[in-house]
Amino acid sequence: MLRAAGATLLLTAASMPLAVVFGLALAAMRISHRRMLSWPAATYIEVIRGTPLLVQLFVVYYTLPQLGNYLQTDLLPRIGVCLETNPLTWNNWAVGIFCLSANYAAYEAEILRAGLQAIDPGQREAALSLGMSERQAFFIIVLPQAFRVVVPPIINDLIAMLKDSCLVSVIGVPELLFKANGIGKARATVAQMLTVAAALYLTLSLGGYALGRLLEKRLSIRGAPELHVDQPHGH
Amino acid sequence: MEQTPFLNRRETILEVRGLKKSFGPKRVLNGVNLKVGKGEVLVILGPNGCGKSTLLRCLNLLEKYQEGEVALRGEVISRGRPEGSGLSRQDRAVECAMRRHFGMVFQRFNLFPHLRVIDNVMSGPINVLRMPRDEAFEVARKALCKVGLWEKHPCDPLTLSGGQQQRVGIARALAMNPDIMLFDECTSSLDPMMTKEVFMVLRELASEGMTMLVVTHDLDFAREIGDRVVFIENGVVSAEGTPEHIFEAKPTPGVRALIEGSLYETRLSRA
Ligand SMILES: Nc1ncnc2c1ncn2[C@@H]1O[C@H](COP(=O)(O)OP(=O)(O)OP(=O)(O)O)[C@@H](O)[C@H]1O
Ligand SMILES: [Mg+2]
Repeated sequence: MLRAAGATLLLTAASMPLAVVFGLALAAMRISHRRMLSWPAATYIEVIRGTPLLVQLFVVYYTLPQLGNYLQTDLLPRIGVCLETNPLTWNNWAVGIFCLSANYAAYEAEILRAGLQAIDPGQREAALSLGMSERQAFFIIVLPQAFRVVVPPIINDLIAMLKDSCLVSVIGVPELLFKANGIGKARATVAQMLTVAAALYLTLSLGGYALGRLLEKRLSIRGAPELHVDQPHGH
Repeated sequence: MEQTPFLNRRETILEVRGLKKSFGPKRVLNGVNLKVGKGEVLVILGPNGCGKSTLLRCLNLLEKYQEGEVALRGEVISRGRPEGSGLSRQDRAVECAMRRHFGMVFQRFNLFPHLRVIDNVMSGPINVLRMPRDEAFEVARKALCKVGLWEKHPCDPLTLSGGQQQRVGIARALAMNPDIMLFDECTSSLDPMMTKEVFMVLRELASEGMTMLVVTHDLDFAREIGDRVVFIENGVVSAEGTPEHIFEAKPTPGVRALIEGSLYETRLSRA
């Protein structure tokens, strides 16, 4: 059971960073003034956010191997490439991680976009006026500040993902819910096992919150307006 | 010529020729011509929204302009481009390099809040000039000493007063060793005490021969620091000369309105 909790943790730990990196690329595209970039990003974000994760899981799990078969037996041989195995016979873990990160990327993109747009344009201008390139202004000046703004909502999503990751049990990834159900059925103790699973999910979530608080503290900027919480008030 | 005494004595360092700038259909600058002598302090005045900030921002290409050109020591460093023309990668590199001629000081300071004071000042030398850290540190130390804030170097910028933040902003620009400093209403979000402390820094820079373009609404400030004043109105330079000439000898109707407006404000603030 603890091993299964570890699997849930691993699933989340692998998917979330991917989601953030992919989300950042999406957010940058979405903000871009070039239609060629912003339009596909916007479409992707809306489609992902407008369909259930469970459906996305099934679509990827069942259609990609077919696409792989087609590649292997039809398309690639025709252009002179022969493969011995299906390039897209994904194992369950890969599909799980892929779907979770592709799904959450859309949400993280929106968070990052809001975070980037919350940074005063004067920051970019000050950087440019020193002679920095757009790229330097973005990575050295704007992104680190936006990062601070987006940490709390991203940690929230991390906790949500911890819980959403139970959906990948439907494609047979042996994570917490999958195991709890399996063990419970085998020993006819489904209710107890599920309660234990719930307790473990709760523990993991609380761990996530603690991590969030810690990060928020570490990243805070002294003198920044949001932090003036201890202003003396008259009684 | 009595109108431009400074220019006759010094070589011209910056020349703006026929600069035109529109935001969409709205023409803001309609052929600005300007010459600035080396070591001169040029004050730029004008009513609200006449395009003073826009002019400074065009000089270092934070805004693109459509017509005209800017020359530094006789060499054209930027040209107007028709709207919507794209920039090649090389154009962009040239743009970055040319911004280094100008040091810009902003009304709202725009310090980098996530970097300590010293790292703010070192950020240009390290990232743009690719200076080694210890060398950049030395440059930053000198710049901070010049504005009298070395003892604040390990602080976070937002913990400083407005006047101190603005002086760090000046040090950050100075660390890049620019040819010309641009000040856009650098004291208008400061109280009189802090204005004074920034003013002292500007005066010291002027005495060391720094060329400066100073946009301000503060006429006393203009009078005290300006070698020469230009008045911008309806997108062009409508009057220029020494502060005495502009304010006392021959104020144009626009200048007079500005003087009266500022007297009115003073009276309001005293009331
Ligand atoms: N990004 C922009 N898009 C559209 N119009 C703009 C933009 N920036 C400035 N303008 C317009 O250009 C004109 C000149 O603005 P600018 O800020 O240069 O004036 P200013 O002389 O600095 O005014 P102030 O004294 O209030 O600082 C204004 O009418 C303003 O509305
Ligand atoms: Mg302005």
